Amino acid sequence: MTGGVTIAVRHVTHSYRVHDGALVVLDDVSLDVAAGSFVSIMGPSGSGKSTLLALIGGLEPQQRGELVVGGHSLGDLSRDELAAYRRTTVGFVFQHFGLLDTLTAAENVAVARLLAGDSRAEARRRALALLDRVGLTDRSSHRPQQLSGGERQRVAIARALANEPRVVLADEPTGNLDEENGARVVGLLQEISAEDHCTVVAVTHDLRVAESAAQRYVLSAGRLGAVPA
Amino acid sequence: MSWRHSVFLASRELRRRAGRAVLTVLAVALAAALLTALLTIALTAKTKVLDELAKGGPLSGVKVAAARPDPSQAAVDNAQPGAAAILDQAAIDQIGELPFVRSVVPVGVVGVTVIADHPKRDGTPLAPFVDRLVGVDITSVPSLPVTVLSGRLPAPGSTTEVTVDEGFLQRLGFDRATAGEVVGSQVDLATDRPVRIGDQLQYVQRWTTAEIVGVVAQDAGSGQVLADSALLDPARQWIAGQIRGDGIGPQDVDPLAASPFGAAFVVADSIDHVGAVRVEVAALGYSTSAPENIIASVDRYLRVVEIVLTSVGVIALAVAAIGISNAALASVRERRREIGVLKAVGATDRDIRRIFLVESGALGLIGGVIGVMLGYLTAVAVAVVVNRYLIEQGFGAVPVQVPVVTMIAVTIGATLLAVVAGTLPAAKAARLPAREAMGSL
Repeated sequence: MTGGVTIAVRHVTHSYRVHDGALVVLDDVSLDVAAGSFVSIMGPSGSGKSTLLALIGGLEPQQRGELVVGGHSLGDLSRDELAAYRRTTVGFVFQHFGLLDTLTAAENVAVARLLAGDSRAEARRRALALLDRVGLTDRSSHRPQQLSGGERQRVAIARALANEPRVVLADEPTGNLDEENGARVVGLLQEISAEDHCTVVAVTHDLRVAESAAQRYVLSAGRLGAVPA
Repeated sequence: MSWRHSVFLASRELRRRAGRAVLTVLAVALAAALLTALLTIALTAKTKVLDELAKGGPLSGVKVAAARPDPSQAAVDNAQPGAAAILDQAAIDQIGELPFVRSVVPVGVVGVTVIADHPKRDGTPLAPFVDRLVGVDITSVPSLPVTVLSGRLPAPGSTTEVTVDEGFLQRLGFDRATAGEVVGSQVDLATDRPVRIGDQLQYVQRWTTAEIVGVVAQDAGSGQVLADSALLDPARQWIAGQIRGDGIGPQDVDPLAASPFGAAFVVADSIDHVGAVRVEVAALGYSTSAPENIIASVDRYLRVVEIVLTSVGVIALAVAAIGISNAALASVRERRREIGVLKAVGATDRDIRRIFLVESGALGLIGGVIGVMLGYLTAVAVAVVVNRYLIEQGFGAVPVQVPVVTMIAVTIGATLLAVVAGTLPAAKAARLPAREAMGSL
């Protein structure tokens, strides 16, 4: 790992078009995340947590305000540059795991490397190393349908780490997991922050995830507030 | 992402939706089969029709007669020859050096009296009749309008083997279907030599016995008996050698025998140059005939048929392509989140577009390959039925052509059409926002 990067969110406002006008989900949100830190954002459903994560990850085009991640001003990037940013700087962990059903666990991890230009052999070698790190060496040839929820999320974490990202963005990473598997995933996120010095931002309803973060925020009705330590 | 990796991901996706993929491939295969079968049948029929017109010889063949040309019939297929002319080796060499001429085969012709030992079909003997013996170098038959209907050709250099044509069969009451019954019988051939006895011009005859080894359809020279020139040449020389100063002149000798060759068969380098070759040969002083006009007309009509049949097949392929497009659009709708995930891990719009185009192209390619094989087998099956009918009617069977160019073109066409059909769904997939990875926000 090459270490985390800072995230600067400045006066970001974001809305979605609905049938009777615009729904503002983020209202003048500002946030600074130090390189290598672990930040959690809590909030009720529909509060804009996932939108904020999507904006930081370059999944959602920015509307107003400024977003700078590791020196990249995301609003200035083209579609291809945003793809390159996601490929080289960000790793995603989704609540629904986001694994491709047609691929094995190893192939799901390797696909990120293939997109980065690795050969299949090299991509597979790195994928197996990452699966070993998350404790799934013996499940590398299994398809997602053959894995438990916790195993799927660990495969997703391995994939998020495949391209040695500077930032890991986790959207409800324990949302579909039982307590034991949730704890294991939280442990992995802490490890990524502490050992790889990767910046981790997790949006969650799960108090365990929130409390394991060094910095905690609450997003409510589109406004962001810090939770005192 | 490289093409190889795109193929890898596309193949996995096709396997996941195997049922839909199989149905799509089937639609393409049926369309490609229809197109291949129609074109194969059209090509085979065209070859057969033109072959019949050219009597089995090259389509660009020109018959040269040992006769003067009639300028009024220069462009007529079956031009009537004018007065007799000497066609010798020097003339053959001259013709061979003309532009656009690929080959020249001299054809000897002499008048003969024929006595067949085979009785007529009703059992009565066939009366002797006068006809012509045509002699060619048998090894040059591939360049001549000669088709073996039954039996075989005389051996090269043979002086005891002949073939006969359908006119001969009709004298005996046989036809193509029963031609084999005549093979193996014998004929006696007599050539007349003039001699002067006192004031009278008399004829003595030179007899040759030969076995009928085959029945042919031929248009190399006018005559019902075809043999190697080794059989004909001595007979012609025996007659022509009599022209000396003892009162026997050329006017007393069979004019066919007076000329070293009775005709020649010229092959132009293409059917487009047949007209030019005929003009040049006429300028040398010889009458020509060639089925160029009828071949050109028939070729035009068959071309129209080809265009119509191709259109039918292409419409079927277009319908199949719409099926591919529809299946791909459904696939895009079902895979929105998956596409988003791929983008979240770094796939560009181009990567996504390529995966979908590879999927469509693969369906077209597989369908095309299966289709051309099915189409060819269908054409072969149709040919079996058609050949049964042709043989019943006394015609030769039609060998089905292997339309390699058509098969390759249909396969490539099906693949390209599938890629084109997949363009819109691929573009839609490529433009999907990466946020689809997170579902509804």
